[in-house]
Amino acid sequence: MLKIRFQRKHLSIPYAIFLILFIILPLLLIVYYAISDKTGAINFSNFVNFFKDKNKLGLLSFSVIIGLINTILCLLIGYPIAMLLVNKKYNKSKVLFLLFIMPMWINFVLRTAATRDLLYWIGINGGEMPYLATMIGMVYNYLPFTILPLYTTMLKMDKTLIEASYDLGARPHQTFFKTIIPMTMPGIVSAATMVFMPTMSSFVISDIMGERKISLIGNAIQFNFDQSRWNDGSLIALIMLLIIVIISLLTRNIQKQEDARGSIW
Amino acid sequence: MLDRYVRKVLVFALLLMVVCLVGCSDTEEENLVLRIYNCQDYIDEGLDDVGNKVSTSVMEDWAEDYKNRTGKVVSVVYDTFETNETMLNTLKTGKTTYDLCCPSEYAIQKMIREGMLEKYDHDGEYLYITNYNDYASPYIKKVFTESGLSEYAVPYMWGTLGLLYNPEMVEEEDLDSWGALWDEDYKNLASAKDSVRDTYVAGVMYLNHDKLMAEREKYLNGLITAESYNAFVSSVMNDTSDLEGVARVLKEMKENIFGFEVDSGKNDIVTGKIAINVAWSGDAVYSMATAEEEEEVYLSYKVPLEGGNVWFDGWVMPKGANKELAQDFVNFICHPSIASRNMEYIGYTSPIAGDEIYELAYDMYYEEDGEYEIDLTYFFDGTISDEYLEDGKVIFRTSERNRGLETQYPTIEVLDRCAIMEDFKDQNDNVLAMWESVKLGEYSIWLTVGVGAGVVVIIGLGYYIKALKSRRKKNKKLDW
Repeated sequence: MLKIRFQRKHLSIPYAIFLILFIILPLLLIVYYAISDKTGAINFSNFVNFFKDKNKLGLLSFSVIIGLINTILCLLIGYPIAMLLVNKKYNKSKVLFLLFIMPMWINFVLRTAATRDLLYWIGINGGEMPYLATMIGMVYNYLPFTILPLYTTMLKMDKTLIEASYDLGARPHQTFFKTIIPMTMPGIVSAATMVFMPTMSSFVISDIMGERKISLIGNAIQFNFDQSRWNDGSLIALIMLLIIVIISLLTRNIQKQEDARGSIW
Repeated sequence: MLDRYVRKVLVFALLLMVVCLVGCSDTEEENLVLRIYNCQDYIDEGLDDVGNKVSTSVMEDWAEDYKNRTGKVVSVVYDTFETNETMLNTLKTGKTTYDLCCPSEYAIQKMIREGMLEKYDHDGEYLYITNYNDYASPYIKKVFTESGLSEYAVPYMWGTLGLLYNPEMVEEEDLDSWGALWDEDYKNLASAKDSVRDTYVAGVMYLNHDKLMAEREKYLNGLITAESYNAFVSSVMNDTSDLEGVARVLKEMKENIFGFEVDSGKNDIVTGKIAINVAWSGDAVYSMATAEEEEEVYLSYKVPLEGGNVWFDGWVMPKGANKELAQDFVNFICHPSIASRNMEYIGYTSPIAGDEIYELAYDMYYEEDGEYEIDLTYFFDGTISDEYLEDGKVIFRTSERNRGLETQYPTIEVLDRCAIMEDFKDQNDNVLAMWESVKLGEYSIWLTVGVGAGVVVIIGLGYYIKALKSRRKKNKKLDW
């Protein structure tokens, strides 16, 4: 009888199976659907149609804008909060930190539905102000994803460098822009990537907060799959995937400090 | 030696047992299963408001009944779907097979066209659905037979599509037209369905308002018959030639309404977020009851005068279904006692008439001193006991108009302006494209150009700064 001797590398088998079944195979399926038509024949008409359609391109651009706005807002709000949280004076037992991260543990559909009612209650009505309501919903949902990487990078920040900058006569704003920001750049970049792409491809938040009057590129994917148009849906998904690849290639240079990127996981 | 021998025998015996077990579960005689695929919350499952089991479900009762009649044990697998599209997708992938499904009329049409369905045993009447033959409303029987679906489906629930509204927040006359959704007075106070078919009805009816009202005038003056009026409404509703016009009005509507909704509308109108909601009659009944209980708000429901949609959901048997079991189940739930249970549980209206259904409606809506008389003879005719008739007619007295009774049982005058909306057939892709442009919005090419240029500039700037920095570093190194 063949005897299989247990080796440590066999521990990776479950993950390898997982990887093939749930990541690689679906990816190949998406690619296949994206480059085939309804009959299953391979052709690139989907691609051509997408790039010919000014509404689809416009939707993509609009999603980019919303994604950018959300990223900037999240960073503007999240950065000071992260600095505050790192400061031991305010965050002695990390309770404050937990408070900011806690929303992440609640199901986000539930959370968004609650936000909708809350906003209505304070007078921000998704029917009247769909853009504002959607933006608030986005920021609320993605803020923890901004704070977390910023917080971990700041924890590791070398405080002596800040002191040194003061000792050398830098004013507070100079210290901030020339010392703190460059040191936390990896955190900023990973926070931005964790917010930008998911914002573009989210559809639940825009549906719930914007009363289904606002569509992002994620809504387009969902729309197509809902109507059994798998090819068109897959194509948009593939385009989004390509954008992610391009963005991570472009930002790779900034994230030379590999450990900072890894630290959020 | 002996030990090894015994072990071999044991293993063999075990294998044999497994084979036997697998074999046994395949034989239908021993293990009857009925697989049902129904819309969510669409049958009496014996649950209370929060989902606790408080009584037996209809499926369990049927299994019990089947056992008593035939002595055979049958188990029911019950799955649910959210939309007809999900159901079609599931059936098409063929991973699971079902004996019974309950889609809407247009999905049934589609399934018939694609040859996905088994026929009911039928010779002008259903052979095994005797309860339907005996108790179904004559009106439903006629309409359903005319729709051409009766060989493949048995209606389960039916209703209309109309406007549910809060009379305290709107002028009632405004609701006589689908135009209420376009009315600036109700800006951000109305919601429409996030579904192409239902919103299409609103759009096409609004677009053809003048034509429809002119025809209605003729009908009211007795110049044309109810049949030809109904045929006219049907032709307008099922006309897909002016998609551009529909797209135009729907885009206007999108600017005016509070939003589109799938499920939130029936609660939003209760809490007062919105005042008008495009609703199916069953959901309207649910909202009315909830609003009355929770907020003491009295909602009303109307089918606008231009006309509306009468819809059916029906039981169909996908190819390969166990027809005997499936038809037995359908016959069981077509009995008025079971139909009234389901009606009470889900709030929709069953096509079944008969004494039990009459009594249910009587308990819910009849008011002895009501000033209005609602004539429902067309629905109950010939299915109920004589004691319930008044001069040969079925009359309901009520003190309220446009409320639960008329929502669940519209008068024949309302039904004259309601037509069955058919599947879009070969126009399906075009209608979807129209709906896509409404839902996803339209953009100028300059937005794309602008964003594209912006992205290029940002990337360029990034590389430029990087190059600048590295040059500075080099210089610094030289200085050192």
